Amino acid sequence: MDILNGFTSTLGSLAGGFGTALQPFNLLLLTIGCFLGLVIGVLPGLGGTSGVAILLPITVFIANTGPGGSTSAVIFLAGIYWGALFGGVITSILFNIPGEPWSVVLLFDGFPLAKKLGKPALALSSSFFASFIGAFIATVLFTFFARALADVALAFGPAELFAVFIMSFATLIGLGSESPAKSVMMIGFGLLLAAVGFDTITGAPRLTFGRIEILSGIGFVPVTIGLFGMGEILASAEEQGIGFVERLSAKVGLKDIVETLGELRKRIWTVVITAVIGFWFGVLPGHGATAGSFLGYGLARQYSKNKENFGKGEITGIMAPQAAADASAVGSLVPMVALGVPGSPTSAVIMAGLFIWGLQPGPLLFIDHPDFVWGLTASIYLGHLITFTMCLLAVPLLAKIMHAPYAIITPFIVIISIIGSYSLNNSMFDVFITIAFGFVGYWLRKMKYPLAPLVVAIVLGDSTERELRKALIASGGSPLIFVGSPLAATLMILAIILLLVPVIRNVRERRARSSSAEPAA
Amino acid sequence: MILIAAVAMFDSRASALPDPTGKFPGGLGPGFYPFWSAAMIAGAAVVVIYRWFVTADIGEGVFARREAWTAPLKIAVPMIVAVAFIQWIGFYFVTGLYMGFFAKFIGRYRWIWVIVIAILFPAIIYFAFEKGFRVFLPKSKLYEQGFPL
Repeated sequence: MDILNGFTSTLGSLAGGFGTALQPFNLLLLTIGCFLGLVIGVLPGLGGTSGVAILLPITVFIANTGPGGSTSAVIFLAGIYWGALFGGVITSILFNIPGEPWSVVLLFDGFPLAKKLGKPALALSSSFFASFIGAFIATVLFTFFARALADVALAFGPAELFAVFIMSFATLIGLGSESPAKSVMMIGFGLLLAAVGFDTITGAPRLTFGRIEILSGIGFVPVTIGLFGMGEILASAEEQGIGFVERLSAKVGLKDIVETLGELRKRIWTVVITAVIGFWFGVLPGHGATAGSFLGYGLARQYSKNKENFGKGEITGIMAPQAAADASAVGSLVPMVALGVPGSPTSAVIMAGLFIWGLQPGPLLFIDHPDFVWGLTASIYLGHLITFTMCLLAVPLLAKIMHAPYAIITPFIVIISIIGSYSLNNSMFDVFITIAFGFVGYWLRKMKYPLAPLVVAIVLGDSTERELRKALIASGGSPLIFVGSPLAATLMILAIILLLVPVIRNVRERRARSSSAEPAA
Repeated sequence: MILIAAVAMFDSRASALPDPTGKFPGGLGPGFYPFWSAAMIAGAAVVVIYRWFVTADIGEGVFARREAWTAPLKIAVPMIVAVAFIQWIGFYFVTGLYMGFFAKFIGRYRWIWVIVIAILFPAIIYFAFEKGFRVFLPKSKLYEQGFPL
């Protein structure tokens, strides 16, 4: 009976959310956000996370002056994310250039299907349909799971919250694709940056070196715009230059859609299963759409009867990663809304927006700001529908964006980034921070340091310290509080297990190497 | 990174360890968190350096190819110069000059198009941000003498 009540209550809240998201102003912002996201996704020099970061300051004005307040702002930002998820597909399939990190995997089968097999429209519509279905399944899971998780999280005290944060960091280290030592270093760097400025408990200045400008801390927005916006521009200047060799064109017609639906019917379970797995993978902190897309591709290839066709234009190799990528992106919003922990770099930037708009991410959002949460949830359904429709109708137009001259797009992005970092506090110091972190971001990319742990640590740094100290104040300074409750103890044990994953992996690799070397000796 | 960690650890060393005397609430002073965050960086840096030494890296260097450093420099230098000049000549003049510079020297556009771009983009930004969003961007030194930008 409780389950039925919960189900109907969630459906009622979702209906209210649709009422909010369908208000003309919110719908307009969602459409603009999705379109901007598509443009950002198509442009190879700019990623979805960068786009969200650069446009974050604009949302302050939307939140302060718009009729929908912070709900309109988050709908706009999330729209950019959904648009970018679809946009990267177009360049990967038509130009063999990934517009986004999560569309890299489409180069394996998307471009071959478009070029060698001469079916660009089928490749595009396959990825659009898979994205839409993956996102829809994930959004249904989001609707019911986020609320349930938030209900559980309401019982969390400082010790449990601290344990959740520690587990988030442990996930980034234990399950990250980069070297664990580099992830640890990036987390330390992020926590250190978050510690700059006044200590919130004692009021003492920390790491300010007598500079008044940084007494209130180093702003998250200028740092993120620098790391992602400027850093990506510098990196892409080196990696891609301005010349594009391959250029295909395509228009998705009714015939292509019918053919795609036929192909989709044959692979529907693969799409559904990779979407569900992608969603749960996205819920883990630090694993957004990029990791999800590779997971989806790997799973589909592993269990496919046509393994030999992968890499040569296999449609499953397009549908599975796309479904998983979109599902992971939706899943990455679950911990942000329910626990106050970002699930991916992009959701970390959106979460920073929540702080700026005066909201506290976490389970209380469902109680204090139900319009916000359910408006956001409904906008995920609508955002994907809008983007899906735009993609089917406007591929040739979107592909033309790639022809926008480099000599105009690049300086324009730099200018918009400067405006974004300046406008929050009217501070040139923030612009200098952006430029400095642009070089930091470029260098970290070049040296293969992961940016996700850094961004998550900057966002969670303050909260982690606050919960640590609140827990210790409550316990009179005894660290045993962190294993005092079954939940906190379980989370801490899970964190330790996750931290041991790379060590175990390393030992197994060494053993495998030594055992393979022995026969030769 | 090690340098950053060392400076941070030195700066926050005074209250780096838990203090059970009751001087700080919960026993942690303001230096505890930054000190151990910096220690984390230093510890991880040692591991990264160790692995760098023991792993034979026969790949090319970071900036081995000429384009590897010239391409980012073409973006970075004008960007730094533009930002440095904002406080003197204002955001709008910088935008015009910066966009015009790219159009001429990277895009190889004709002068007429360079001038159009250098005027059009600051104008769009002015009306979108200054008039639309009411975001007041930095003005030139002449602004105090009554010049509008």
